[in-house]
Amino acid sequence: MSSGSIPPGSVVKDPGFPTKQENYLTNSKGILSWMFTLDHKRIGVMYLVGVSLAFLFAGILALLIRYHLMEPDGKLFKGANANNMYNQLFTLHGAVMVFLFIIPSIPAALGNFLVPVMLGAKDVAFPRLNLASFYLWCAGAIFFVAALFGTGLDTGWTFYTPYSTTTDTSVIAATMGAFILGFSSIFTGLNFIVTINTMRPPGMTWFRMPLFLWATYATSIIQVLATPVLGITLLLLIAERTLHIGIFDPEFNGDPVTYQHFFWFYSHPAVYIMILPAFGIISDLIAVHSHKRIFGYRFIAYSSIAIALLGFLVWGHHMFTAGMSPMTTIIFSALTFTVSVPSAIKVFNWLATMYKGSISLTTPMCFALAFIFLFTIGGLTGLHLGTLATDMHLHDTYFVVAHFHYVMVGGTLVAFLGGVFHWWPKMFGKMYSEAGGRLSSLIIFIGFNLTFLPQFVLGSRGMPRRYATYDPEFAYLHQMSTYGAMLLGIGLLTALVVLLHSLFRGKDAPANPWGAATLEWQCTSPPPFYNFERAPVVGDPYDFSKIEWDSENERYVTVEPERETVPEEKPAIQPAH
Amino acid sequence: MFANAMNLLGDLTEDYAFFPEKASTFAQDNDWLFMFITWTSVLFFVPIAGCLVWFSFKYGKPKGGKAESDVSHNTPLELAWSILPSFVLVGMFVLGAKAYLDQRSVPDGANEIGIQAFKWGWTVDYGGGVYHPELHILKDEPVKLSMRSSDVIHSLYIPAFRAKKDIVPGRYNYMWFKPTVASEKVSDEELAKALKETKDLGEEWNFDERQFTPDGYRFYDLYCTEYCGTNHSEMQTVVVVHETLEDLNAWIKKYSARPDGTTPAEYGALLYDRRGCKSCHSIDGTKMVGPSFQNLYGRQEAMVTGESFLADENYIRESILYPKAKVVAGYQPVMPSYKGQLSDDDIYSIVEWMKSISSNAAGGAEEAAKTEE
Repeated sequence: MSSGSIPPGSVVKDPGFPTKQENYLTNSKGILSWMFTLDHKRIGVMYLVGVSLAFLFAGILALLIRYHLMEPDGKLFKGANANNMYNQLFTLHGAVMVFLFIIPSIPAALGNFLVPVMLGAKDVAFPRLNLASFYLWCAGAIFFVAALFGTGLDTGWTFYTPYSTTTDTSVIAATMGAFILGFSSIFTGLNFIVTINTMRPPGMTWFRMPLFLWATYATSIIQVLATPVLGITLLLLIAERTLHIGIFDPEFNGDPVTYQHFFWFYSHPAVYIMILPAFGIISDLIAVHSHKRIFGYRFIAYSSIAIALLGFLVWGHHMFTAGMSPMTTIIFSALTFTVSVPSAIKVFNWLATMYKGSISLTTPMCFALAFIFLFTIGGLTGLHLGTLATDMHLHDTYFVVAHFHYVMVGGTLVAFLGGVFHWWPKMFGKMYSEAGGRLSSLIIFIGFNLTFLPQFVLGSRGMPRRYATYDPEFAYLHQMSTYGAMLLGIGLLTALVVLLHSLFRGKDAPANPWGAATLEWQCTSPPPFYNFERAPVVGDPYDFSKIEWDSENERYVTVEPERETVPEEKPAIQPAH
Repeated sequence: MFANAMNLLGDLTEDYAFFPEKASTFAQDNDWLFMFITWTSVLFFVPIAGCLVWFSFKYGKPKGGKAESDVSHNTPLELAWSILPSFVLVGMFVLGAKAYLDQRSVPDGANEIGIQAFKWGWTVDYGGGVYHPELHILKDEPVKLSMRSSDVIHSLYIPAFRAKKDIVPGRYNYMWFKPTVASEKVSDEELAKALKETKDLGEEWNFDERQFTPDGYRFYDLYCTEYCGTNHSEMQTVVVVHETLEDLNAWIKKYSARPDGTTPAEYGALLYDRRGCKSCHSIDGTKMVGPSFQNLYGRQEAMVTGESFLADENYIRESILYPKAKVVAGYQPVMPSYKGQLSDDDIYSIVEWMKSISSNAAGGAEEAAKTEE
């Protein structure tokens, strides 16, 4: 069959390719047309470039950290200032990764591009607020860089008092940066809540939304509710440092543990700001590349909301050893276990979706499989930390470092990469090399495991975290981890090369290269600046029965049986009105 | 690296592959619980990973292939896999919480030892004016550590005991444990050889290389696990478990005061080594966290306030007891107070020793010149 499996006698629906005037990337020219754009797609692309640069920077810092830890006495930095240099290095790595990369990565970069298109809308509810949030992100980023080239920040990304109120490094510049970034995050969240609530097209009920939108919605709720607490906490920290108001610093009758409560009341929900959008991406990726209806849509959607709510109740597990009363500690342990259930539900549902599907091992699918593998390890090792007795041994060791990297890198970063590879043809209208993409996912998978599996063992053997130098018995596990980090770096570089190469040499992407049924694939690749001429007809986002492979043009198309207009003949008499 | 990786795999069945030595009553329960959770996780993980791979191959189809099923949900199945694992979770929670309560309930009659944590070292208070950075305790006797910090948050962690607790300034935190394995003592010849080598090289005692203390005991590591600034990773000391009370008492007596026949200056040098001074103050003129002690005595020091003081006996005494009263220009007020931790004779000894390394002091000049040669 020359035309794939398209049944004869059916009508093929495909929007074709955009013209240069329609394409949102080329419809207006010049730097100003980007800087002052209100188009959510262009803002999404600018975010993508921004967070990628932040990731590149913080990733290089991570490699320097690992290189330093090649030897027990430290390989990179020597001499009297070595420990200070290392402390500044890991602080910047953590702060930049958390505030500039992981939190904005999926919601701001992919979310901005996708939310309106998935809704069949022309833009988000408040386009100007959207641009403002991008510039706030830039301003926050500049403050962080200022902290770097100022005196260097050495508090760890958590800014724990009283260390942060007494160190002579630029805590205030860095916290101002985080404060501004918080507003960027709130603006984005607010925008998405309003957009999803008010701009769904006719026919798209809550339970006919793509699961990525459910995840984005849950994330936005956390962003709007939790981020103000971080803002208040950081302002109080600045006030404590400059005015000695006596709330966090014991020297002025404050209590350092109060700071930890405040800080984690934001930062634990923030963990779910980081992972929930990843769940959304994976739900869509697994269904699309298995060409099968997502299994248990409602359970997945409700579990996102459950995680968002339960995520507010577990912050105390960061302070199991800090000196809370045993009763409080036990309650937080119990609540912590409850949050593991909704995450487990999602993993089972994804597997059930793959069962009896028609799986294409494309690059995005390879990343999605890697995600399930790595996230499951990350989630299960959380049990060791939620269990109180074992946490007494593992708290603040490398076990914790490995655990949250499995969730944040193996989870969020891998899902982000999967999402970028999945929507890349839509964003830039180019197909990348599949072989190259799959190779990069394999290298990243192996490199990641080699980096962080040894760290679990380091932790259970008793290696404390944030150590610039360490006892020689830990040396070869650290070395394995460093080799893994280098491999991981190579894998990420491969992914970048594959994507950039496609921009110049890639084939033009069809409107629907993967066979997805959500709305963003019904406009051209890349979408026209107005997204849709008129609001599209909303179908089931996971009904793949009408999508067929057109092998002649290497694209998926929506087919409909040929319809006859009834009555066939024109009536002889015109109606009166 | 390959050989190391193979070694690691070969060691997997051994106990030490995952844990340090089990040396307290907590270790047995904790490690059992750890392995219980790990094996339960494996029980869940292997089928998940297996399905992942199996489905990818079994249901892999060329483009355009259709799914074999269009099931949208199965509520009983989904409820089952939501609720059934919860029983396992409840089990973990209960076992963990019970063991935790045990770790937080200090048994009656536990020996109480005071710990002071500071940037970046430890002071253990043995009572009767005896202070030492090493923690020495008795086998099979429960010990309660009553801990305070004079600057930022620290955390006391002894991996071999599976015990950890943060030390928060402005409050006392406590922890307890009961060591079950006594530290061995190395032979006198080996100790003498190591002491001589260290002296000949003019180095500090290297715990990592020797793997025993300067008194000849094998030891367990004690780490700070809450990030506390520049030398966080060097804020380590050792725990020695004595077999008998006589042995422990003999050790304490050895450090109780300036022994007869030791000059104050010699003893001051020991205190400099032992009580944490050296982590911030050099004796060769290098600027560290605090001012160097070289030629400090008898010098005019400029303060952050703009005033200037002569560094005499009283100035040094005040700086040890009330470090924030006078802060030298170019430094931060970060030194913890040693009030109540150094006896009068200790302070006298330190002052005498500082005179001996200063060219500004009457008797110290020749000595300083001697060291420069």
